[in-house]
Amino acid sequence: MRITDVWPTHVVLAWLLAVGLPAAEAAEEKIPRDHAHHPSGAEEAEPVGPKLPQGMTLDEVLDRAAQAPPDGFPDAINDNAIFSYAVLDQFEYRVPNHGEERLGWEGMAWIGYDYDRLWIEHEGERSVEGSEHGETETDLRYSRLVTAFWHAQGGVRYANDWADDVYADTWSVVVALQGVVPYMVEVDTSLALSEDGDLWFEAEGEYDLRVTQRLVLQPRADFSLFAQDIPEQHVGAGLGPVDLDVRLRYEFTRRFAPYLGIRYHVTVGETADLVEAAGEKTEQLVFLGGLRIAW
Amino acid sequence: MNADHDHLSEWTRLSRRGFLSAATIAALTGCSGLRTTRSGAPPVAGNFSELDATGEGGIDLVLERGPLQIGGGIGNAITVNGSVPGPVIRMTEGKEAVIRVHNRMGESTSIHWHGILLPFTMDGVPGISFAGIPAGETFTYRFRVRQNGTYWYHSHSGMQEQLGLYGQLIVVPAGPDPVAADVERTVVLSDWTFEDPHAVMRKLKTMEGYYNFQRPILANLGQEMEIRGMDLGGVLASRAAWNRMRMDESDISDVTGATYKYLINGRTADENPHIRAEPGQRVRLRMVNASAMTYYDVRLPGLPMTVVQADGQNVRPVEVDELRITVAETYDVVVTMPADRAVTLFAEVMDRSGYARATLSPMSAVAAEVPERRQRPLLTMADMGMLHGAGGHAGMAGMGDHDSQGGMAGMAKHADHAGMDHTAAGAGAHAAQGATLAVTGLPDRRQHGPADHGPGSITMGHSMAYRRLDNPGLGLGDDGRRVLTYKHLRCLTTPADRRAPTREIDMHLTGNMHQYIWGFDGKKWSEADVLRFRYGERLRINFINDTMMNHPLHLHGMWMDLYAGHAYSENPRKHTVNVQPAELVTVDISADAPGQWAFHCHLLYHMEMGMFRTVAVVRSVTEGVANADH
Repeated sequence: MRITDVWPTHVVLAWLLAVGLPAAEAAEEKIPRDHAHHPSGAEEAEPVGPKLPQGMTLDEVLDRAAQAPPDGFPDAINDNAIFSYAVLDQFEYRVPNHGEERLGWEGMAWIGYDYDRLWIEHEGERSVEGSEHGETETDLRYSRLVTAFWHAQGGVRYANDWADDVYADTWSVVVALQGVVPYMVEVDTSLALSEDGDLWFEAEGEYDLRVTQRLVLQPRADFSLFAQDIPEQHVGAGLGPVDLDVRLRYEFTRRFAPYLGIRYHVTVGETADLVEAAGEKTEQLVFLGGLRIAW
Repeated sequence: MNADHDHLSEWTRLSRRGFLSAATIAALTGCSGLRTTRSGAPPVAGNFSELDATGEGGIDLVLERGPLQIGGGIGNAITVNGSVPGPVIRMTEGKEAVIRVHNRMGESTSIHWHGILLPFTMDGVPGISFAGIPAGETFTYRFRVRQNGTYWYHSHSGMQEQLGLYGQLIVVPAGPDPVAADVERTVVLSDWTFEDPHAVMRKLKTMEGYYNFQRPILANLGQEMEIRGMDLGGVLASRAAWNRMRMDESDISDVTGATYKYLINGRTADENPHIRAEPGQRVRLRMVNASAMTYYDVRLPGLPMTVVQADGQNVRPVEVDELRITVAETYDVVVTMPADRAVTLFAEVMDRSGYARATLSPMSAVAAEVPERRQRPLLTMADMGMLHGAGGHAGMAGMGDHDSQGGMAGMAKHADHAGMDHTAAGAGAHAAQGATLAVTGLPDRRQHGPADHGPGSITMGHSMAYRRLDNPGLGLGDDGRRVLTYKHLRCLTTPADRRAPTREIDMHLTGNMHQYIWGFDGKKWSEADVLRFRYGERLRINFINDTMMNHPLHLHGMWMDLYAGHAYSENPRKHTVNVQPAELVTVDISADAPGQWAFHCHLLYHMEMGMFRTVAVVRSVTEGVANADH
C-alpha cells in the first residue's frame, strides 16, 4: 500500500518539500499568530466522548476508577522484591616479614528489601602450619537504610579463638553505621559492648582507585579504639592495632578478582607495650595474595 | 498484503509466506507449530510478518518462549508469531481492531498498545487495566481506533519486554496522509541480552556500575582532558568533585554494551539488516525505540532526514542530521535515497558502548560504510543543575572549594529565583487550583529537591532544574550536526482540546543510584498514593529531574502536551517525554480518559524498581483509594 498510490497528496507534498525547518521558522515571524498554528488549515477531527469499556457507563467507569483494583489483580510492578548479595572481600594467604604464615578472610552478606535487611559480617584468620590456632568474628545485624548513603545497624557479635586445646568465645552487642562518605570512601564503623563489659569502637574505610576498567588499586585502613585494657587480647586502652592495606586486584569479572597486596600492621601506646611484653613485634609487613569473590 | 511487497526484502518475504500459513494453522488448531523450522534449528529473529488488526476477523498473536537465533547466538526469547520483533500490526483509523492474544507460555503475560487511546480495560497493564493473561489462556483485545500514526506494542508483565515481546503498530489515517513518501519502512530499535533479565536486575541492585566499563580511570585521564577540554589539573579537580559528591560522571546508561546486543529489526550490526530502498525514492522510516534501557542516536551519514512525525503525531517537517530517540518514543522521518550509493542507518547508543546499523539499498548483501564511532560523553555540571558559569563544560575545578554537601554552596544564592510564581515549592505533588495557568513564557528554572525526599533519593538539593528544550542531550550538538531537540517539534494541526490548564502539580524524578531505588518524590510505587486526575480537567505537571540520569516518562491513555516554548496551539503532544538530568519539563494533560492508567519511567529496570504511579481519572481528586497496592 504505497501511500502515493492510494492518496494523491500533491498539495501537501509540495508543501512538505517546500517547508524545511529554516523556512518554517522564518515564516513564523511574519505570519500572525492566529494563522501560524493552522498550517494545514483545519483542526484535527477527533472522535468525541470518552473511551469507555464495552458495557460500562461513564458513571460506572468513574466509580471503578475511584476504587482499589479488584481482587485477583496482581501488583503492577514488583518494586519491593527481596534481593541478596554476598562478597568475600578478602580470601588470602598472609606472609609476614616476621612470624608465621596465616590464612585470612573477611566478607559480608545481606538479604532483604531496599530499606530493611538482615546483614552478616564475618572475618577470621587461622594458622596454616605448626600448631592449630585461629580466631573468627561474626556479626548478625538488622540493617536500615536511614539516608541515601547510610545504613544504621544493630545486632550481636560472636567472637571466638582457639589454640591447641584452648577455646574461648565472647558475645557482644553491636551498633554500626555503614555507608559512603564524600570522596567515595566506603566506611564501616561499629561500637561493641561485650558480655565482659568491654567497650570498643572499630572503623574501616576503603577506596577503589581504578587504574584500568579491570585493574583496581584499593587502599584500606582499619583501626580500633578501646575504652579499657583487655590483656588477654593484648590490647590496651586507647588506640588498638592499626592495619593499613593496599590491594591490587584484577576483575576478570565484577564477581571474580584475584589480587596481590601488602599490609602494614602497627601497634602503638599501651597496646604496643602489651604486644612487646608478649614477645611479639609492634610492626609487621604482611604480603597478601588472594581472591575477591562476589555472589 | 500489497504493503508487504515493499516492506520486506525478497528473501524474507518468501520465507514469510510459508510462515504465515503455519501461524494461522497453529492458531486455529491450538498446536504450537511456530517455533520449529523444517531443519529443526531455532527460528531467526527479524523474520516478522505484517498483520491487519482492523481487517475482517481480526488477528491472532501467539506468544511463546523458547530458543531463538538472535544477537549472534541462541537466546531464550519470547516471540510473537515466531519472531522478535513481533509482526508489524496495521490498523485503520476509525475501524475496530480485534486482536486475540494466545499465551502459550508458562507465565502470565500482557500486551500494551503504546500510545493508543482506548478504554482502560484494553490498555494491557496487569494490575491496573486487567488481571493479565494467565498461562495457556487467550485474551481478546477489542477497541475502536481513534487516531493514526506510528506506535508500538509490548508486554507490560515483569521483564518480558527485555525478552523480545514487542513490535511496531501502524495506524493508517482514515483520510489523506499529509506525509508524502514513495515507500515506508519499519525500523524497530531494541536491545537484547543473553542474561536472564532478573539476573541483570540483581546485578544492578547489588553492584553499582556493574555494566559500566567506561568509568573514570587513571588510564583515561588523557581521553577525559580531550572530552572536557581541560588540562590535567582541571580533570583531576573535576574527578575529585564528582567523587566528593559520591557520583559517577560516567554513569550514563545502567545497562550497556557489556551485555547488550543492539538490534535493528531483530538483527545486530554484524548481521547488517537490510532496508530496501531504490535510488531517488523518498523513504519514510517509521522508527520505534523498543529498547528496555537504550537511548539511540540515529543518523544516515551524508543524508539529511526530515522529521515528519513524533510519537505518532504529525509535526511540521524539520530537517536534521541526527536525532536521539528516547526509549519508547517513535519518530517518522523521510529521506531521499541518493542515486549512486547505499546508505547506512547508524544508531549509536547514548553511552557509545555499542551501535546498531542497517543498510538502505536496492538489494540486500550490500554493506554501506559504518562511520567512525564517537567518544563517550561524560556528565557535566549542567546535568547537576549548574548551568551557570562556563556552560556546564568547565567550572568543575572550583567544586572542591565549596563546603556544602556536593559543593553546591555557590548555588544557594540563586535559590530566590527559583520560586518564581510557584510559591508552594514544597515536598511532593502540591496542587494549585482555580485560575487558568499561563501557557507561554513559563519559568525557565525550578529548584531541585527539596533534599528531604528521603533515602530513596540522592538529590542536589541546592541546585536548579532548568528548561533545556533546545539542548539535544548528552554527547550531542557540538560536532556541527543539526540534531533534533524538543524545541523543533510543532504539531501539524492543533489538537481539539487546548484549553489552558487550571491545576498544576510538581513531580520530582528521584532515585538512589547506589541502592538502585527509583521513584517520584522519593517514593516507589508500592509506597505511594495513586495520582488522581479529575475527569474533564486540564492538568499541568512539572517534571523536575532530581537525578543524574535521563528518564523517558510515559503516560498511558492520554496525551501529554509538551511545553516547547511555542504558541500554545503549536506545542507537540507526546506519549513519552524524555526528561534530561536536572531538567524541568512541563506537560499539560486533558484528563479525558476515565479509569485507571499507568504512568512510569520507560526504562524497564527503573520502572520495575518503583518509578511508576497508578493514575486514576476520577470525579474528584479528593475521593478514592489511598493506595493502589492492596
